[in-house]
Amino acid sequence: MAEKNELVITRIFDAPRELVWRAWTEPEHFKKWWGPKNFTAPVSEIDLRVGGKYLSCMHAPDGKEYWSTGIYKEIVKPEKLVYTDSFADEKGNPISPSHYGMSGMPDEMLVTITLEEQDGKTRMTLKHEGMPAGDMSKMAGQGWNESFDKLAESLK
Amino acid sequence: MRRDVFQAIADPTRREILHLVSAKPLNINSVSVNFKVSRAAIYKHVKILKEAGLVEIKQQGRERYCRARFEKLNEVSDWVEQYRKLWTAKLDSLDKYLKKLQHKPKSENKRKNHGRKK
Repeated sequence: MAEKNELVITRIFDAPRELVWRAWTEPEHFKKWWGPKNFTAPVSEIDLRVGGKYLSCMHAPDGKEYWSTGIYKEIVKPEKLVYTDSFADEKGNPISPSHYGMSGMPDEMLVTITLEEQDGKTRMTLKHEGMPAGDMSKMAGQGWNESFDKLAESLK
Repeated sequence: MRRDVFQAIADPTRREILHLVSAKPLNINSVSVNFKVSRAAIYKHVKILKEAGLVEIKQQGRERYCRARFEKLNEVSDWVEQYRKLWTAKLDSLDKYLKKLQHKPKSENKRKNHGRKK
């Protein structure tokens, strides 16, 4: 029940799982959809192997660009993709969310995507978790989620 | 130094302190009796929580009382909400793109797909 620090979204896509996988993992596909409506994605570099990096750019209608980068942690084609997610500059160096005027969010996040076949469609579950920043994560140790549960409990 | 809420709650002792003072306001002494570390160490943690806006400290007579500020804690869930919106918008784009790839008009998403290329 660590709801305060993670986000889970489930969506069903009317497309075969293989295609949904490719949309996530092939730059030519990825560039076609990454970003909200009216955004474009001019850059997508994907080094699809565990430890490999990606770099993506989202171009807003007002001309602002939002770069993000991260490392693939787990790749099980075509079922599961786990990667870290940070804001970045255009060279792919991770930067703080405050650079983009966003505060109160973790510097690094972990995204887990699972794809399941369901009646010819694809059920996608996306989990997005915050990780405490930098050296603080060492201090946090293992008790992070447990304590978060406690914290959430106490806020009821 | 301005500290953000995530740094503040990254530490287990500080989360425990928050947990204690979220039940009711406590003075520093009452907080520190719950821990093995020194009162001074606890005071440092409380100060960090204060800098992050997670607690406020009020002088009452000779005692300083520490109280949780729930509105600041909500920031932790706010980023989740921001991301929910962003992901929803992105996944709408993905949905649209997948349909386009399969040459399916938006309105026909209930039709069974026969003979589709794998």
